[in-house]
Amino acid sequence: MKFSSSGYLIKEGIKNIWNNRMMSLASIFVLVSCLIITGAATLVSLNVTSLISSIGDDNMINVYLNYELSEIDSIKLGSSISKIPNVQSCEFYSKDDAITDYKETLGNLYESMQGDGNPMPNVYKVQLKDLSKYSDTIKEIKSIDGVASVSDRSDIARKLTKLNSFVTIIGSWIVLILGIVTLFIISNTIRMTMYSRRFEISIMKSVGATNAFVRIPFMVEAMTIGLIAGLISSITLIAAYEPIRSAAAETFYFIGQSSVPIDNLWISILLGLSGAGMLIGLLGGFISITKYLRKEGGEILGW
Amino acid sequence: MIHLKNVSKVYANGTEALRNISLDIEQGEFVFIVGASGAGKSTFLKLLIHEEKATFGKINVAGFDLMKIRKRKVPYLRRKMGIVFQDFRLIEKMNVYDNIAFAMRAIGSPEKSIKKRVGAVIDIVGLNGKEKSRPSELSGGEQQRVSLARALVNNPEMIIADEPTGNIDPKMSYEIMKKLVMINKRGTTVIVVTHDHELVRSFGGRVILIGGGEIIRDEIMPSKIDSDEHVKDGGAAE
Repeated sequence: MKFSSSGYLIKEGIKNIWNNRMMSLASIFVLVSCLIITGAATLVSLNVTSLISSIGDDNMINVYLNYELSEIDSIKLGSSISKIPNVQSCEFYSKDDAITDYKETLGNLYESMQGDGNPMPNVYKVQLKDLSKYSDTIKEIKSIDGVASVSDRSDIARKLTKLNSFVTIIGSWIVLILGIVTLFIISNTIRMTMYSRRFEISIMKSVGATNAFVRIPFMVEAMTIGLIAGLISSITLIAAYEPIRSAAAETFYFIGQSSVPIDNLWISILLGLSGAGMLIGLLGGFISITKYLRKEGGEILGW
Repeated sequence: MIHLKNVSKVYANGTEALRNISLDIEQGEFVFIVGASGAGKSTFLKLLIHEEKATFGKINVAGFDLMKIRKRKVPYLRRKMGIVFQDFRLIEKMNVYDNIAFAMRAIGSPEKSIKKRVGAVIDIVGLNGKEKSRPSELSGGEQQRVSLARALVNNPEMIIADEPTGNIDPKMSYEIMKKLVMINKRGTTVIVVTHDHELVRSFGGRVILIGGGEIIRDEIMPSKIDSDEHVKDGGAAE
């Protein structure tokens, strides 16, 4: 193809979209739906991963002691915890400190919960050295006499990992199904355009146009449909992301701390979805054009 | 220019469209291919433009060995020929100028040479002043002249006209034939497929009769029209 023809071919491709606007609109609509679901699933997965990672990074655990354990025994138990090799620090947090921290929340009840009426257990705030030995260290701490329970965050991390896999699996299936539907719709759109321009194609071939030359306007059309859908879906996701993140953060405080802000994401969303849209368009267009270009003469015209 | 040796074509359904055909058409010849419907004329044309591949034999067109030609080379074979269709195959949404220019755009010619060349062929076929008209605004004869201009615009070595007068009245048919003769006088090989025997008798020249997939006759017929008149009338628009 000569460089001088590229402007003409691109113009023809854009003209195709307008001439075939109803099918183009349908393709854009389906592709936008597919890309929004793909993008949303990716963003949820990204935030869940970030949450899991932030939980993992927080290597502080709470060790709750038996309620009946005396103050002296509780302090002694602290030295047993400190002796565990993977424990970096071990800070005592007495039940009196705990109830004082809840003073404002408790209001009038606070007075009655002083001394023997205090329902809080003594706690050790333990910091670990190596998170990979998390489970073994938890087991060791639990085996110390006088320890009632340990705030085991690995359970939360496990649940979130499960959620992440679930989102990934469901997201992948939805994307796969919608991807196939989109490919089908785009390749049909291109096939319709090719059919409506069959005279031109047969003439082009009869005067010696190469297949690449015939193909380019249709590829431009398919890629432009993909690009438009990519831009619409990325702008929609970028616009909706922060309001959804704020609403989620109001319900679950930890989401506010660990979720990824839009400033770090918008370029990736824009480029990723626009690129994906163009790629799907390219693929859908290529399938139908290649099939059509194998035809010759009267076959092109449907005779 | 065109050399066929022992060429046969058998379609997938078993129909033997051409049987053991051998012929040579040299550069600058004017040849009529005649025969009844189903005689094998269309298959013969399809072999020349490589829409179909021969089952047996050897075909060489404009230096291309059509039994061995690669798919990507076929467009370059077709650039050596201009095809005129019975049904004109003009694009209704384009005007006369764009219909002709389309053939040049399709092979990536620059706009500057398109403008120059389209103007020249419009002149040759005598369509001056009709550049902006749509095909539906033209008579059958005028539409066929647009089709002829489109076939000529890429300056091919040969013109293949498939029943060029099939859809137009006798007077216009005569005009179109005169244009083809004039183009031939300038050195372009012209092959006309027709079943209009009256036209063949009028213009004469080499006539190849195909019947039942075989060449029945290949002879030179005298023209009933003065050859100088062809050139004079056909070239009048130049």
